[in-house]
Amino acid sequence: MITVNLVPIFATPFAVVDLPQLAALNAPLAARLTAQATPEQADPAFRPDPLCFRSRETLLESREPLLAEVFQGLIAGLCEAVMETNVMKREEFVELSMQARSRFTIVRPDGALPAATAPLASWYGLYCVATPPPSPTRADSALLRLYAVRGAQTFIDAASFRMREPYSGSHYTWRPVAGQMAVFPGSMLHEVAMNRSDTDLILIAMRARFAHGEQLGLPGW
Amino acid sequence: MRLTAGFAVAFAETRLAQCARLNEELEALFLARESEEHRNPTPTHVPQAEMFESRFNLFLWPEACIQELRAFMLGAVAQTVGEVAELSPAQLSRLQVHNHTWFHVTRYAGSFVAHNHPLASWSAVYCVRAGERLPDRPDSGVLRFLDPRVGADAYLDVANRRLKPAFALGTRELRLEEGQLVVFPSYAFHEVSPFYGRDTRITVATNCWFT
Repeated sequence: MITVNLVPIFATPFAVVDLPQLAALNAPLAARLTAQATPEQADPAFRPDPLCFRSRETLLESREPLLAEVFQGLIAGLCEAVMETNVMKREEFVELSMQARSRFTIVRPDGALPAATAPLASWYGLYCVATPPPSPTRADSALLRLYAVRGAQTFIDAASFRMREPYSGSHYTWRPVAGQMAVFPGSMLHEVAMNRSDTDLILIAMRARFAHGEQLGLPGW
Repeated sequence: MRLTAGFAVAFAETRLAQCARLNEELEALFLARESEEHRNPTPTHVPQAEMFESRFNLFLWPEACIQELRAFMLGAVAQTVGEVAELSPAQLSRLQVHNHTWFHVTRYAGSFVAHNHPLASWSAVYCVRAGERLPDRPDSGVLRFLDPRVGADAYLDVANRRLKPAFALGTRELRLEEGQLVVFPSYAFHEVSPFYGRDTRITVATNCWFT
């Protein structure tokens, strides 16, 4: 009898946080963000794209009650996800200071968001404000895709080609659901696949990092 | 001080002079064979209606235009190997090159997800038809290479945010032109961004391994 103890080492955390209290705000939030998708509010570092709008990373600076309520929920949700991955105790975690930047993205029909990481952040939250219906013919329409860029994929044989989860070398996909937030490490290369529907996908992205009170070495954003 | 490009990735680029006649013949042949008979029956990625991928036996086709392209592409790959590998001319001449080669015809909204090519050492892409250029969509149909230095951009400050081209962090994009050929290591992850032209974008790709 052979006993095999199989362990998924080097796992990547990926959390989906349900935020039902925010779901009720999605309709006015979508209207608010859509109205703000103007050339003046566009991220100057993002190549102009008629099918994908990315805002400046200044959403957290707003003092609007609607956005304040949304971010209260998003930050709480992200912190819960981060705590789930850490060995530190809750009382230690709450002593940390959190720094965050946020922007929104509207992926219009036939638009896509190219792959990127989130530099200078340990965690990345992606909250879905509005999602198009799944395409009956295109399973990858408007999916969040996290890239599996692993060197081991360069040598594949019949015994490594179709490994089961969580050992598969395939990209990981998540279908955004309005009222849910995905949380994953900022270092993960991710994209939004082409939106094959006829309605917009609206996302709020948040880069987040945490620091001890006396910690040095975090450059400004 | 001596500055070197450590962990560099070799990219070769060349162009086929006076490629118009060959490209016309290739385009006509590919469009004529854009059929189930010639479609790749075992695609590694979810097929898209907007992109036709042929079987991987293209360089076995006997047509003169295919054999002309084969000589150009495999010759460029061999020349790249000769430039970057520490092999003597005699050793190089004894190598046998094997290949999987196919063509893509991409139409509006077609793309190809990020991937690399296992079990090959060098890959190359030749552009038969670049497709419509859109002034407001410069990224339409670009061949985009991912930075293999995973995590290198995790910490950015003013001293590493804008490095010189050889050291710059981030993706590299190539807007291929007719007759252009790029050769790169097969391990390099790359993708084709959505193509928004109203016509077709046609490329030929090869994966090579040597014995």
